[in-house]
Amino acid sequence: MRKYIEFARVQMQVHAAYSAWFWANTFSILLRMLVIYFFWKAVYSSRTEIEGLPFEGMITYIIIAMFLQMFVSGVGQELAHTIKDGNVAIELMRPYNLITRLVAMDLGDKVIHFVRGALPLSILAFIFMDITLPSTWQSGLLFLFSAFMGIWIGTFFDLLIAILAFWTINLWGLQVMKEAVISFFSGALVPLILFPEWFQTISLFLPFQAMVYVPVAIYTGILTGTEAWLALGSQIFWVVSLFVLLRILWSIAIKKVTIFGG
Amino acid sequence: MIVVKNLEKHYKIAKRDPGLRGAIKSLFHRKFETKKAVKKINMHIKAGEMVGYIGANGAGKSTTIKMLTGILTPTSGEVKVNGIIPYENRQQNASHIGAVFGQRTQLFWDIPVRESYELLKHIYEIPQAQYEETLKEFVDVLHLEPLLGIPVRQLSLGQKMRCELAAAFLHRPKVVYLDEPTIGLDVAVKVRIRAFIKQMNARYGTTVLLTTHDMQDIEEICQRIIIIDDGSVIYDGSIQDIKSQFGDKRVIHFELEDAADSFVLPETISEVTEVLPRSDEDPHLVSLSFSNKNISGAEVIHTMMNHYSVADLTIADAKIETIVEEIYGRGMKKEVQHEEIH
Repeated sequence: MRKYIEFARVQMQVHAAYSAWFWANTFSILLRMLVIYFFWKAVYSSRTEIEGLPFEGMITYIIIAMFLQMFVSGVGQELAHTIKDGNVAIELMRPYNLITRLVAMDLGDKVIHFVRGALPLSILAFIFMDITLPSTWQSGLLFLFSAFMGIWIGTFFDLLIAILAFWTINLWGLQVMKEAVISFFSGALVPLILFPEWFQTISLFLPFQAMVYVPVAIYTGILTGTEAWLALGSQIFWVVSLFVLLRILWSIAIKKVTIFGG
Repeated sequence: MIVVKNLEKHYKIAKRDPGLRGAIKSLFHRKFETKKAVKKINMHIKAGEMVGYIGANGAGKSTTIKMLTGILTPTSGEVKVNGIIPYENRQQNASHIGAVFGQRTQLFWDIPVRESYELLKHIYEIPQAQYEETLKEFVDVLHLEPLLGIPVRQLSLGQKMRCELAAAFLHRPKVVYLDEPTIGLDVAVKVRIRAFIKQMNARYGTTVLLTTHDMQDIEEICQRIIIIDDGSVIYDGSIQDIKSQFGDKRVIHFELEDAADSFVLPETISEVTEVLPRSDEDPHLVSLSFSNKNISGAEVIHTMMNHYSVADLTIADAKIETIVEEIYGRGMKKEVQHEEIH
């Protein structure tokens, strides 16, 4: 356990060292927030609500979803690289589990991102844009739990895609497609209630809405009561099944490496 | 420490006909060809031994090492390292071994060397006191002090290699696999690295399996060598033995005035000398191998001068290098014949 904590710690340290990158990133998020704000302001200039959502509800959803989306991808990129350049062999020679190690490092990354990026920026957004707090403290609490679940679902999904690098020569296209699908189906761009009925039905059966839409919809009060609990249940289902799938696929991949030599 | 019995590894390689047609055909019907990378290898290495494991590129060295480290499962046969079957208990095996791969880094790219070592301390669960003592010793021997604060990606090759070596020995492993640890390094760094390996072996009784193409490494570090060719062990014994066994072998390289395409061995010496396979790089070069017992070097040179106009010549003496060159040369010849048959 201790070694994985150390990996997380080192990763935080590495990140803290890249300050130019940090400021560039912060600046680009600020810009995005401004664009989003004025875009939706313009959309709402001629009406008071869309699909039952007033401006405050909408901008709260969009901004919170934007922040959450930054956390739903994982260290797939890193894993894919390790597989690609053959260093996975060296990793297998070490007394640790590579997946656990990568997840630990990812956790370190996310903590730093949260503390240095998302937290101050969301406070800023809260003060200067009309972002509201969750309607009740229960939904606030539920949001935290649900967001936590959503992040794990995103992390596991990302690693699952990366493991495919063992079989495909080029993973880049697949990863780009994954990003697009996630932005669209997860509700990271707009709340899923804006999409047609059939689209919502499809996404109900996919893991993507559990990443961003469910937590943020709970936060903004789009999902309440039984609906919210059902959505949480589906999140738990996805966390468990993706985790199991990840372990299975990983052990198959390792077998492939150790038997066929990569 | 290392016991290997009848070890075999076969790879299945998908074979396809050339061109687009072949590519399409292979989508529906795949033909596989079995390549035997390692054939019935046996070796027994005792604790504290330093063994050179050599062979030409593609002879099966890396495949063997991969099986010893547990990252490759043998097709058949038995492997035991320190009483553990590596491919079955990979992580358990991992904590007792160390490795350096000359072509790959094992340190953590973005963080300073010292942090890398700290991390290794946790990974291998090294007690603090032992860690401090070992690190201090390594810093002295390998002169690492000025490098400790620098991120790995900013180190030069020689600096990186010294750091890698320290990393491999940091947890006092029982066995260390060194795969070309001196590749691309200058003489001074090579000397330092060899001294370090010998010191580790003397102090901690570390078993070392070294693969390299640098015969100087072998001669200075190892007492014993195992030569592998085309997947089989063709020699296993002390360096002294191989020298006395092949010690009368000589190789002379002739640089001819004309291209050596039509070179034919002069009849008078054709019985006792042998032409080594020619390289494509130098069309004028002809290398002759012979035994000192049968013919003297002077006589070979004399005969050659009479039949061809020789621009230059070099005599390789009876170093391990020459012997190995000769053995590799034979292996390559076999390969050539093999292809012709097909």
